[in-house]
Amino acid sequence: MDHFPTNWGRPRNDAYDSYGTYPIPHRPYNGPKDAFGEGVQRTQQPIVTGTSVLAIKYKDGIMMAADNLASYGSLARFKDVQRLTAVGEFTVIGASGDMSDFQYIQSMLDDKMVEEFTSQDGHALGPAEIHEYLSFIMYGRRTKMDPLWNSFLVGGFKEGQRFLAYVDLLGTTYSASAMATGYGAHIALPLLRTAVEGKENLLTEEQAQKILEECMKVLFYRDARSLNKYQIATITAAGPSISESRELATSWSFAEGIRGYGAQTQ
Amino acid sequence: MNTFIDRFSTTSAASQVRKLKEQEEDEFSDAAWGSEAGFGNLAKGIPSFSVPSVHDPTAFLRLHTDDHADPNCRIKIQHGTTTLAFRFQGGVIVAVDSRATAGSYIASGTVKKVIEINPYLLGTMAGGAADCQYWETYLGIQCRLHELRNRERISVAAASKYLSNLVYSYKGMGLSMGTMICGWDKTGPAVYYVDSDGTRLKGDLFSVGSGSTFAYGVLDQGYHWDLTDEEAQELGRRSIYAAGHRDAFSGNTCNLYHVKEDGWNFIGNFDISKMHYEGPGNVPGAPGTGYGYDVRVLGRNSSNPPPPEAAPAVAAHA
Amino acid sequence: MVAVPDMDSLVNPQQRQFNPYTENGGTILAIAGADFTVIAGDTRQSEGYSIQTRYAPKVFRLTDKAVLAVNGFAADGNMFVKKVKQRLEWYRHAHAKDMPLRAIARLIQTMLYARRFFPFYVYNILGGIEDDGTGAVYSFDPVGSYERETCRAAGAAQSLVQPFLDNQIYFKNQLAAPGMSHPTHLPLPDVLSIVIDSFTSATERHIEVGDGLEMYVVLAKGRGLGGMEAIGGVQELSERTEGERLFVVRRELKKD
Repeated sequence: MDHFPTNWGRPRNDAYDSYGTYPIPHRPYNGPKDAFGEGVQRTQQPIVTGTSVLAIKYKDGIMMAADNLASYGSLARFKDVQRLTAVGEFTVIGASGDMSDFQYIQSMLDDKMVEEFTSQDGHALGPAEIHEYLSFIMYGRRTKMDPLWNSFLVGGFKEGQRFLAYVDLLGTTYSASAMATGYGAHIALPLLRTAVEGKENLLTEEQAQKILEECMKVLFYRDARSLNKYQIATITAAGPSISESRELATSWSFAEGIRGYGAQTQ
Repeated sequence: MNTFIDRFSTTSAASQVRKLKEQEEDEFSDAAWGSEAGFGNLAKGIPSFSVPSVHDPTAFLRLHTDDHADPNCRIKIQHGTTTLAFRFQGGVIVAVDSRATAGSYIASGTVKKVIEINPYLLGTMAGGAADCQYWETYLGIQCRLHELRNRERISVAAASKYLSNLVYSYKGMGLSMGTMICGWDKTGPAVYYVDSDGTRLKGDLFSVGSGSTFAYGVLDQGYHWDLTDEEAQELGRRSIYAAGHRDAFSGNTCNLYHVKEDGWNFIGNFDISKMHYEGPGNVPGAPGTGYGYDVRVLGRNSSNPPPPEAAPAVAAHA
Repeated sequence: MVAVPDMDSLVNPQQRQFNPYTENGGTILAIAGADFTVIAGDTRQSEGYSIQTRYAPKVFRLTDKAVLAVNGFAADGNMFVKKVKQRLEWYRHAHAKDMPLRAIARLIQTMLYARRFFPFYVYNILGGIEDDGTGAVYSFDPVGSYERETCRAAGAAQSLVQPFLDNQIYFKNQLAAPGMSHPTHLPLPDVLSIVIDSFTSATERHIEVGDGLEMYVVLAKGRGLGGMEAIGGVQELSERTEGERLFVVRRELKKD
């Protein structure tokens, strides 16, 4: 042990870096190695992925939107995937990230809802409970270093209360009146905030739908992992409803006028 | 191959034990009984720790904690810095600084780096602040249990060995402590150096931390077994001052303790800047002037002119 | 020229590993007075350059006399607060009283240290009233070393706020007027102004601080409201008025 406390608690290698000058992550590791340990990696990376989910509060409840694409890297692999799912009578979950992890969570939530139903205790899980449950699952898995590679938006309406919250692969949670995951958090969220904040109790269903459609369009123009087919979910006092897939009416004529990107010569 | 099987087999003995353990953890633990809230879980022996489930937990910890060289490491564990203790005719002097740094940020200037294990035992803190605080408090519990079981106080040798055996069992896991266990037992004053590598040394004089080289410089030239109490206290204070003055990672104040036959005494807290300019104040052994060398070059240059009353003497000499 | 060995190539082939931590910004702060404590935090939660939400509380009521502020990785922080509250509830069931502040501080140390090898990335500041009626602040590092102090700032803007507090609370680098001395404790209205100034200033100079400010005020038993009356937007959280009293004061901060 040298006399410098910041160097303590770390295996020493006198052959290299005897003065401890290298940044810690780059320092050589000369402790015991488990050859088989390296063959085992539970921590994966997302494979088949969904892009942004958008959601806002409006007068009657929550409205959520997500497109129907599941990408395989840069390949638009599956073009009719539903990324919005109703859980119980009061809740819709929108998923971005790994689709197989999302399906796993769907089946887990189905089991949970069956379990709750069979107890027949007069209580039904609302969006707040489902979000709490989901955040425990997500945080628990990150703590096991085996995360479920998703970001979720949980929207709901129960007992006259709107609910909208986020949870991701790290277990991070928060809530706001306009939310977006993934690329949408950078591109669509500023638009959503301008349109929604302070007007949560005024926006009608038509207005809310218009806002989301506009943002989906913006995302489709700029997010290379997006699709012009999307669904909208509403959760109101009447319960959740998820629309059929709809097509975005897009116009590319503006592209004619763009100069400066790509290979145009003039 | 064995490790592989142990980890993933569902029928091996190891996995049976693992399952039993998981079941146990799912049940309400004893902590549900509120009195476990404080150190209850410690009194029962070695406490348990969560370890990240990656194939190399130590590498994981090293990647995410620690400071100094890598700004990307977010979890900055506070590091303590200059400590010293020495044995002499009148007991043991323990002196420490009070600065805690996280990277180059001074996280605190008021850290108590002397841990009062019990009225006869002191431990010092260098390295990970939490490691030292936690394990030396834990040591205090074990020392008290020793007293209750054996109807006599634990020796400094035994206490320090308890600690060194304990940290040795965590060797390579990333604990970081360099401590001196000081006290008075049947054998008289005693100082043991214990660190997280498992080293345990008996000795008369130790200094630990990044400022230790500076402290040793002062300590070695002033140390003698026959020092009086006042001289010894002044030497401890003066050594910590030197480290605080020259080492960027040490400073703020000096805490001084004196261990005698009837246990330890807290002598005082001394501001290092104040010691530089004015000295430690009116305390036994104090020189009456600042420790800084301004006083030693007084009158030798124009930026540091002689005091008014000294002026006529110089004129007379000329 | 001697070639410096490329450390990356000396290490095993690197693979991208899951990083279980992130940083969610924000700043927390606590100041103890003679018979009160103020614990405050901003309400912005961010990741990188994105503001996730403008209202995510970082300061939590534990008991009527203890308040905990957490900062760092939000998921760890929320989980940690949940676990502390659970332990305090168990204690209440077993002992029919609230855990004393110094015991909560020690509890937090052991809970943090239990994760020594997989730390909670959380900086904790615990504030409240001790059994002797004095205001107290305990600050912790992520693995549980702790210390009782008069004031402490932690989080993204700690390096902006702490020097200001050193100057205003500890009177560091200030000379008292001739024949006068610095007070050991400031009155509540002064402390609240210092807290508000700390956060408005941190908001000006740090991108991760802003949106809203929540200040919890704990008053010692029988102290009276002294200084609270003049403050607008106060909400009382304590259930009984005869014991320690707990209030929360909310203020807006700039949102840009």
